[in-house]
Amino acid sequence: MLRRAETRFLLLGLPGVAFTVLFLLMPIVSVLIFSFWRTESYEIYADWNLDNYRAVLTNPTYLTFLGRSAYTALIVTLLCLLYAWPVAYFVAKYGGRYRLLLVLGLAAPFFTGAVLRLAALQAIMGPIGFINMVVTWFGLEPIGFIMYTKFATGIGLAYLYLPFMVTAIYLSLLNFNFQLLNVAKVNGARPWRAFWAVTWPLNWIGTVIGVVLVFIPCMAESLTPRFLGGPDGALFGTVLGQQFGETGTWAQGSAMGVLLFVVCFAVIVGMALTINPRRAGFTGAGR
Amino acid sequence: MSDVAIGIHDVTKRFGRTVAVKNATLEISQGEFFSLLGPSGSGKTTLLRIIAGLEAPDGGRVTIAGKDVTDLPPYARGVGMVFQDFLLFPHMTVAENIQFPLRMQHANRATRDERLAWIVKLLRIDGLEGRFPHQLSGGQQQRVALARGLISRPALLLLDEPLANLDRELRKEMEVEVRRYQRELGIPFVYVTHNQEEALTMSDRIAVMRAGGFEQVAPKLDVYIAPATAFVASFVGHANRLRGNLRDGMLDWKGHRLALPKIEGATDGDAIDYFIKCEHLTIAPAGTSVGANLNRVDGTIRDIIFKGQVADHLVVLGDGTEIVVSEAASLPRVKAGDAVSITWAPDAGRSFRALDT
Repeated sequence: MLRRAETRFLLLGLPGVAFTVLFLLMPIVSVLIFSFWRTESYEIYADWNLDNYRAVLTNPTYLTFLGRSAYTALIVTLLCLLYAWPVAYFVAKYGGRYRLLLVLGLAAPFFTGAVLRLAALQAIMGPIGFINMVVTWFGLEPIGFIMYTKFATGIGLAYLYLPFMVTAIYLSLLNFNFQLLNVAKVNGARPWRAFWAVTWPLNWIGTVIGVVLVFIPCMAESLTPRFLGGPDGALFGTVLGQQFGETGTWAQGSAMGVLLFVVCFAVIVGMALTINPRRAGFTGAGR
Repeated sequence: MSDVAIGIHDVTKRFGRTVAVKNATLEISQGEFFSLLGPSGSGKTTLLRIIAGLEAPDGGRVTIAGKDVTDLPPYARGVGMVFQDFLLFPHMTVAENIQFPLRMQHANRATRDERLAWIVKLLRIDGLEGRFPHQLSGGQQQRVALARGLISRPALLLLDEPLANLDRELRKEMEVEVRRYQRELGIPFVYVTHNQEEALTMSDRIAVMRAGGFEQVAPKLDVYIAPATAFVASFVGHANRLRGNLRDGMLDWKGHRLALPKIEGATDGDAIDYFIKCEHLTIAPAGTSVGANLNRVDGTIRDIIFKGQVADHLVVLGDGTEIVVSEAASLPRVKAGDAVSITWAPDAGRSFRALDT
């Protein structure tokens, strides 16, 4: 017999659990199952085999795209990190009463859709876009190397995911006691030394969250390289998307998806291992 | 070399329109325990932060050991500082926290370990080196903060209300301890507090601050016994304020004629504030004969508040005015409701021309 309180908790929890199982867990499980099946002429057959994985792991094309995605994601993450830290720092420290407004302002790009944002970038970086307009104004040759290159993809991705990085670091800095920097300075630390000895380690968790939030979606990106990357700009996500669209090889695509899943999971675990809970400062007195 | 360890010359600091520190001039000697005492907003913490280099003064100079440090950043001043909320680095062990100043000075490992061993012994925190701050009690955290402030053997130690967050028992104990460290190290301590008991217990000299300026800078006994201004008289110690008018050299206070010390430049009819400390009043059952030279007022005991060694006797006079008398609690001569006489020697109190407020 269930007691009344338990019944109530069960009833309250049920919709959430059902939703999670139905729309989150099931798709992942089905992808996992498909990856062991076979597709032929846009039909999927449930005969269990490892051919999809053999192809993904031995055909250098897939691994090349995976490597290219990882490289792009890494560069974009580093760019975001370099840009987001100063922004988050100054908003958190000097934003004063406008802090919330400034952070919400970072969400401005989300007011429109992703496609619109990419189109706007095209208008800026394109062959007859804003940058080249300015360049030719000064009587110089238009720049050809920006649009439809990996460079453009990188800029597009950084623009797209920067808000996540800034928000993660900003929220971490909100909990950071800036007084500790005064302590470090009085005790002989120059500003940069104080930053590396105190600010950086005490905001490492927030930084890790930001890194993961930027790196993981970048690994799977297909839209941005399609709009900005040009003919040679395809990434792993682009190819993965093709399996479910043009070529109709769902089983192959599922195996690629599982591989992506494994790589991303490894990245998350790797990043989590860099956190030393005892030294994260979360349990510290006076924060 | 002169004996002056810290010199503050005509220092002024404004925050917007408020003047936090106003033309402060002060010299603190080598080996002196000096307190800045005042209510919140009196500018004492700002002055301390100016000495540390955490605030830049708008005018004036600061010298440490004869050297002008006004334009030096905090990390180049070589001072130690202990903060109110301990402010230990939560991601470092006790040993790492304490050794932080030495690491910033690029001291080698042998020096760091040697100094660590010395300071943990001095502050009696040996055995805690491997712990993290959140694993320590408040008192232990305070000692670690002190150790961090002292390990580099700074020219002086600045303390910003370091005991404010400790409970009463621990505070009493630490007051004595802090005083002991100062004596052993022989460097000046500049101690900011709003707690007069702390200041009186530990200091050699006290500067009483109010609205950014010094009301009195004097040895602690002078501050207590001979307050220079009405503000000091009301802020330091527990005193009754009797406001009346000067008449024929006597204080006319609510119909009582009271003898009082002479006031320079005061003439008949001037408004006078006469301060008499609670412990300088004596209470006796009504009708007890008193000495002829004593001031005397009569009233009724409304309540007796027991405080341990002393008890505050709240006495209501005929017109409803309340006077507080601190007397030994072990004397059950009187009880609530009794009619009593309060007496005191006139020169035990201090009189000032009344403040405009």
